[in-house]
Amino acid sequence: MSRYDSLVEDCALSIGAEASTFAALGNTRILITGGTGFVGSWVAEMIAFLNDRHKLGVHLTLLSPHASEFSERAPHLAGRSDITLMEGDVRNISAVPTDTDWIIHAAGSPDSRIHLSNPIRTMETIVLGTQNVMQAAARIGALKRILVLSSGLVCGPQQWESAPLSEESYSGMDCNRLANLYAESKRAAEMIATGYRSQTGLPVVTARPFTFIGPYQLLDRPWAINNFLGEALRGGPIRLQGNGSTVRSYMYGSDMAYWMLRLLVDGRIGAAYNIGSPQGISLKELAGMVADFAESHPRIELNTLPGGELHRSRWLPDVTKAEKDCGLKVRIGLDAAIRRTIAWHTGK
Amino acid sequence: MPNILVSDPTLRDGNHAVAHQLTLESIETYAAAADAAHVPIVEVGHGNGLGASSMQVGQSLVPDREMLIAAREKLTQSKLGIHVIPGFATIEKDLRPAIDIGVDVVRVACHCSEADITQRHIAYVRERGKQVFGVLMMSHMLEPTRLAEEALKMETYGAEAIILMDSAGALLPPDVSSRVSALVETLHISVGFHAHNNLGMAIANSLAALESGATIIDGTARGFGAGAGNAQLEVLIAVMHRVGYETGIDLYKMLDAADLAERAIIPVIPTIKSTSIVSGLAGVFSGFAKHVDRVSSKFHVDPRDVFFELGRRGIVAGQEDLIIEVAQALSAGELRIEAEKVEA
Repeated sequence: MSRYDSLVEDCALSIGAEASTFAALGNTRILITGGTGFVGSWVAEMIAFLNDRHKLGVHLTLLSPHASEFSERAPHLAGRSDITLMEGDVRNISAVPTDTDWIIHAAGSPDSRIHLSNPIRTMETIVLGTQNVMQAAARIGALKRILVLSSGLVCGPQQWESAPLSEESYSGMDCNRLANLYAESKRAAEMIATGYRSQTGLPVVTARPFTFIGPYQLLDRPWAINNFLGEALRGGPIRLQGNGSTVRSYMYGSDMAYWMLRLLVDGRIGAAYNIGSPQGISLKELAGMVADFAESHPRIELNTLPGGELHRSRWLPDVTKAEKDCGLKVRIGLDAAIRRTIAWHTGK
Repeated sequence: MPNILVSDPTLRDGNHAVAHQLTLESIETYAAAADAAHVPIVEVGHGNGLGASSMQVGQSLVPDREMLIAAREKLTQSKLGIHVIPGFATIEKDLRPAIDIGVDVVRVACHCSEADITQRHIAYVRERGKQVFGVLMMSHMLEPTRLAEEALKMETYGAEAIILMDSAGALLPPDVSSRVSALVETLHISVGFHAHNNLGMAIANSLAALESGATIIDGTARGFGAGAGNAQLEVLIAVMHRVGYETGIDLYKMLDAADLAERAIIPVIPTIKSTSIVSGLAGVFSGFAKHVDRVSSKFHVDPRDVFFELGRRGIVAGQEDLIIEVAQALSAGELRIEAEKVEA
């Protein structure tokens, strides 16, 4: 059994008995920008599953500046006849294949290390890249939908005592702070897409991703769950910054891909949808779960540095809109998500 | 419960003051005394940190490995810390063996505008499960907003605290307050401060840092360190205790450790010499003092002119070879003309 077989099982779990909801994708062509990242890789897994199990006949093009690396990382996808790898950077493209029926615009890394070290390139990729993709998409007369990946961060920070962030919650961000560059760029990108929808009639649907977990996510990324998993898989200890009261939620990769594709097909044009799990968990509890499920059962160390324990934040999506418009539900809970992710990395 | 973490680089910054000639016996003697005083972190090594022993910045009397093993054996309560500048220290050759010896805290340092170079070293220390701080040196050279952005990079790389170093002793208390405050407002992790005493501000600057939200503070016995020395640790602890900060350090034993350091390991107690004042005014790294004195004497030029010219050029640690270039040019009369042009 190859390590990729578990991903097929993941896709089956996330789709459940709803494969028929993808009938509109049958024998059409999808293009994903940023196609070799976490989102693109999982959408590719899902399309491969739909084609293999349900004979959907979708053709997928993964546009990415890292297409050649993807061949090494996911040879089972890169070698398929229904998947085409296309080397390209959204900062420079002027056209996309004209026989494209659907576009998922996912280009732009959410890695805050890159945003801070290379803010100009980050903005170019998100803002200029979105402009280029919209312009190219507007030339395709028969385009059915374009799903623009924004970020849950565009709503601004969630106050500790506030309810989960709905698509309509907004608070201002200081646009002079470099830490807000990614969120502000995503806000600009959403507005560019809105402009194209209004002026050219582009069928734009917007997705606002929150936080995810699963295979294809690199463990060196600067997020709590990645750190915990990386530390646990190295035998620990798990080092917890702050006092562990910060709250996040995590959606598994195959659920995320299922939601993306459903929003592509069924999302209302002009609407924005949160994508993520509404089930919050404190980082202390999360670290405890990772420690329990990891073979090494590492100990957990709280950051005891004076002054470092004060920070806490809460960031949770309200996903009522996606549930109401498209009937979307989280199928793989956090417990299973952590276990499956550990199994992927350990090969067990 | 201590609310301030004290880190003591007597056996690292002090090495600058003796051209990196600290002996094994000195390291063992002071490490044991600091440990007895419950100093939380004792930093050990070449003045420029791990892997820095070289012709360019000075060769250590004792190799890194031997210094760390000696200190490790004497530290029963205190954590063993090291200063690591990527470029001097490589991961495989230096950092891996240091952690294998038993280093607890790694302080990954860079020039204040170059945080990007610390990513791999910080990530490696996190991988090894050890505590890692980011250190921004020469912090007077960057305004508070950019300093906070560089610090934020280090936080995203995995640093668990950020230390601002006033490496040139060039800052005054309001400068320290604005810089520390910018970091405290921007970061989610602890902020620390490391003073030098070129303008006689080391204790005042350290207090300003604490009042602005810093919770980690550096100081050395008798101020033993580069140039005019650091914040004098035993004074700093006394002042902090007077103000009401808790450090967990036994003051009497710290005073004993400082007395012992004066007797056993410090050949000349740091004072604020004229060149140190000029170094602080010019904003040049305190560790340059010995090099500048030596080279100035060789080329028969005024070391104060050398410092001001180095400051005008924005020279930073690692560019020690330019001291000779400046001294040569001054000696040849070239720079005086240029300096006049600049002033005009």
